Amino acid sequence: MVIENVLAALNELATFQTALLMMIGVAGGLIAGAIPGFTIVMAVVLTLPFTFGMPAVQGIATMVSVLVGGLSGGLMAGILTGIPGTPSSVATTFDGYPMAKKGNAGLALGLGVWSSFFGGIISAILLMTLAPQLAQVGLEFQPWDYFMLVMFALTITASLAGKNLVKGLLAGVVGLLVRAVGEDEAVGMARLNFGNDALLQGFDFIAVLIGLFAFSRLLHDVRDPESAKRRLSGGEKQFTVNIEHLQAIKTIFKHWTLLIRSSLIGVFTGVLPGAGGSIANILAYDQAKKTSKNPEKFGKGTPEGIIAPESSNNAVEGGALMTLMALGIPGDVTAAVMLGALLVHDIVPSPTFIAEEPVLAYSIFLSFFFATFMMLGLQSGMLRVFVLVTRVRMYMLAAIILGLCGIGVYAINNIEFDLWTLLWFGILGFLMRQFGFPLAPMILGVVLGNIAELNLARAMAITTDLTPFVTRPWALFFLIIAIFSAVFPIYQNNRGQEKWTLFYLPLACFAAAVPLFMMGGLPRPTLAALVVLFGVYTLWRRAQSGWKLSPAVADDVTISEE
Amino acid sequence: MRRLNQDAVIAIFLILASGVLFWSTFSIRSPDYGVLAPSAWPRVIIIVLAILSVIYLIQSVGKEQPAADQKAQAGRQPGVAGWLVYWKNPIFCFVLFLVYLLTLPLLGSLIGGVSFVFILMSILGGISKENVLTHATLALATVGGMWIIFTYGLEVILPQGVIFSAF
Repeated sequence: MVIENVLAALNELATFQTALLMMIGVAGGLIAGAIPGFTIVMAVVLTLPFTFGMPAVQGIATMVSVLVGGLSGGLMAGILTGIPGTPSSVATTFDGYPMAKKGNAGLALGLGVWSSFFGGIISAILLMTLAPQLAQVGLEFQPWDYFMLVMFALTITASLAGKNLVKGLLAGVVGLLVRAVGEDEAVGMARLNFGNDALLQGFDFIAVLIGLFAFSRLLHDVRDPESAKRRLSGGEKQFTVNIEHLQAIKTIFKHWTLLIRSSLIGVFTGVLPGAGGSIANILAYDQAKKTSKNPEKFGKGTPEGIIAPESSNNAVEGGALMTLMALGIPGDVTAAVMLGALLVHDIVPSPTFIAEEPVLAYSIFLSFFFATFMMLGLQSGMLRVFVLVTRVRMYMLAAIILGLCGIGVYAINNIEFDLWTLLWFGILGFLMRQFGFPLAPMILGVVLGNIAELNLARAMAITTDLTPFVTRPWALFFLIIAIFSAVFPIYQNNRGQEKWTLFYLPLACFAAAVPLFMMGGLPRPTLAALVVLFGVYTLWRRAQSGWKLSPAVADDVTISEE
Repeated sequence: MRRLNQDAVIAIFLILASGVLFWSTFSIRSPDYGVLAPSAWPRVIIIVLAILSVIYLIQSVGKEQPAADQKAQAGRQPGVAGWLVYWKNPIFCFVLFLVYLLTLPLLGSLIGGVSFVFILMSILGGISKENVLTHATLALATVGGMWIIFTYGLEVILPQGVIFSAF
């Protein structure tokens, strides 16, 4: 069955036009990812209007290609200039740049490219094999469970998106409110439109997203007149580097456990709603350093310091696409844009999607796989383009992108109101950045608002009794992890200083095990037992050390806007 | 202290906005069918927004402006003039985009888009002999290129504008 679906999907993708568009997409993504200030989200969003006229498979394959290219593009800037092209490649600069400065730029780039490739491939394989399994689990979800899953996604995004949880939650709630404007999903009554007919259709999600992210970000980047006039990445430098492929592959194979562990960290981070590449690369780097035989070499140009972040950040999107395709819940902001792209092409991801539209689903999986191969082939060529692009000045890039946004956003629905939406949300996004409000929870709020409302309406239609929100195992599970993720920033701030933080992890394990036990069967109660054992073991270890507070080692885990 | 005022002002604004929005939910019509009234979900969101805004207000009281923020705006001159100078580039961008939107029915997306990019580049990057040519070429090539792709490649009907329609 799977092979049949894969072959059918292959047939859909194996056209010259699709392959060409995917190559252009990967190349565009690589360049976009390499430009500091030009984020992956911006690249994917700007590609979207171009895909309107394409068949669904072709359009989505192009978007996935831009995404994969963007994930890998950041390493070029990070290694050669020390300025990460995207937040996903921040940790790559810690060792990539020192290695390049020592004269090993070719090896550093090779390690980055091949780690990205292997991370992407591991992620693609897991995506293809695990997404259908996750969809099976998703079929168990009832409206109460879905509603609580959305609440969990918003809470964890808010808790990871900044140091102030309240600001994150406020951003998420404002996102939900933005989505509530216009005719309601269930019965079509006008809401919060203040008599304005244009608002009856609500705000277009893509226009809101481009305004909040691209528009506001560009204006933020040109705020300082002097830096706006400078070349990107201080592009006065000339780079004549040949990527050392063979040496890089040998080095990576020497550290194959690190590669697999970092890729798995990436996939897991991607599956987790709200967390993305910006967290995964730091987590993987931190883990690599902790488990290395030579931790003292980190930060001075060690290969492990490049392999870990680059394999993990490319693996993230496989995980994010997994939750998106199987549950219809985007794992991060980039996946939220992908959800918008799928909806534009009349594709609505849900637990039944993979079973009902297997060819389309496997086409998306395969395009992720092929794009990773294309990224490998195009990376060397793009190095020259990257050098050219760095000669562009920031203000030029900002003006051009704003101009292109003006055309691209109009093309979504062919209505002028979307351009006004772009402007208003551009101003709102700019102000939010200035006042320290994270944008990721707001985006998720806009994306998930109607899913939450629809499921609430369905739940209320079944019964007006509210207890299923806390008595159904899945709903309770999401509620518990939502509460613990809300407390996470407080735990993070007090770790190593307050006694209660010693009990946070064991308590989270015990609490999460309760709904798992309630689910019945054999595997889940077994998993619950293991989780409880881990909690007990952690308590025992802490008791053995006399409940001593140990200073926090890792840096704070927060999302940088992609 | 400025940070305190800023956060407090935002919190008060959000509380007031919650009040206005909550009041506006009473004008949402409810049909005779369906269990969840169309006003129910917005009301839940607005109540949560109001509660969070109050917490935000309480948090902001007694908090100093973070040193990082103070440092970031260290170069800013006091007063409205200083504020305008500090934020002049983003303000130019917003105003120009507003002008682009207002003139869209007249200029259309091609002439309007090229003009917008060219003028914005010239304002942000300054005007010199070489710059003008580079800015004009870039504006024409990028916006013009995208306009051609959309109009002829993707067959999207973009606003033509009164001027362009005349030809």
